[in-house]
Amino acid sequence: MPTDTHKITFTINGRKMERTISPSLLLIDLIREELSLKGTKPGCLEGECGACTVLINGDAISSCLYLAVNVNGKEITTIEGLSTDDRNAPFDPVQEAMIQHGGVQCGYCTPGMVMSIKAFQEHCEANRFVPGREEIKKAIEGNLCRCTGYTKIIDAVESLFEGE
Amino acid sequence: MNFNVASPETNEELFEVIAANQGRNFRFGAGCTDLLIELKKQPEKDLTVINLGYLNDPQFNSIENNDGSVRIGALVTANRITSDLTIQERLPVLYEAANQLASGQIRQVATIGGNLCTASPAGDMACALVALKAECEILSANGKVRVVPIEDFFTGVRKTDLKENEILRSVQIPVNNSGEKVHSGFIKVGVRRSMECSVVSLAYHIQITADDIITLAGIAIGSVAPTIKFASSACEYLTGKRFSEIGSSESEEFATKILEYASPISDIRASAWYREEVLFNISKSIFE
Repeated sequence: MPTDTHKITFTINGRKMERTISPSLLLIDLIREELSLKGTKPGCLEGECGACTVLINGDAISSCLYLAVNVNGKEITTIEGLSTDDRNAPFDPVQEAMIQHGGVQCGYCTPGMVMSIKAFQEHCEANRFVPGREEIKKAIEGNLCRCTGYTKIIDAVESLFEGE
Repeated sequence: MNFNVASPETNEELFEVIAANQGRNFRFGAGCTDLLIELKKQPEKDLTVINLGYLNDPQFNSIENNDGSVRIGALVTANRITSDLTIQERLPVLYEAANQLASGQIRQVATIGGNLCTASPAGDMACALVALKAECEILSANGKVRVVPIEDFFTGVRKTDLKENEILRSVQIPVNNSGEKVHSGFIKVGVRRSMECSVVSLAYHIQITADDIITLAGIAIGSVAPTIKFASSACEYLTGKRFSEIGSSESEEFATKILEYASPISDIRASAWYREEVLFNISKSIFE
């Protein structure tokens, strides 16, 4: 039944948390304002640009169009959850590929882009599927990048599946 | 943007919440991808969102393959529709509409029920379901169920036949299992390929016997009238014809019949003239 605040329990980047939130709080605001994880970017705030993409139970969603109350019992991964404390290998392979292939320019779309690619990579690996460039384009259709022209981003994604 | 949220988990809780909100300002939220954009632009006072994200009822949440039909719960997401094998094989028009909807991030959460209840003349899955002559199963808070043909479900731009105490529970789609071939697809024309609200859309589902006779045709058009339209006379025109004998003059006559159902407006996305030209051309193109 309606109440003024809602208690939610969730896991974010491997850490279990409990929070009391206002019912209309958006997931992007929970992540950026309440948990101070600023890697998830606010872009259009209408689901068009994909800058705010995060993973819920491994699937990419737009955090600007997702109610925070709906993460109860779920696992959230943000861009901060991909890197590690290991100084020799601090980045996820997706991040590494984006750096190697020059897929990053101004960087604003990058966290969201990386999260979409991460979800796609795991989906492909789970289904033993090696995607072609058209499938890669489809996988990042929800992420706008105004700098790179996408070619180098697509190269980066393609490189993740080389040798498979 | 400030509203209250009620998250029923069972049918009983759902009925209670609906009953408690009669006469008040409430909205249903499933994937919330349209609802939240609307509320960001135009916040509503004293609003309760009945959040269906935790509703645990297979009648709302599952895809059932029955003999001669597929039943899709209103809370099934576009992504689940695209990964269903029966839908891929027997109902390509619905698969393509779900696959062309918005972007991967949106398809992950957006539901078929939401696409129908938003009742946009540009609704992608909605257009496919009109072509497929689906039926809507509507549940009321007193437990009564009624079924309406999808064409009667849409009553105007963003208006449906749902009463204040009702909710869409599922859609049922007839499926022909006799082994007939299907020529079925969804064509969406917009300014770009992704995250696009269509300028014109066409859903077609044609069944053809082994000896080349069209036994059933379903054609629906979107974004060219206040509601999605079923083009009956174009369907009748095809029924009984030999599929392989439809040449350019037949396909032009077919496209002309479809155009009779269009009454487009000029707006920021396209002019009425352009919409009609495009509709004519894509209608012809399904036989090329």
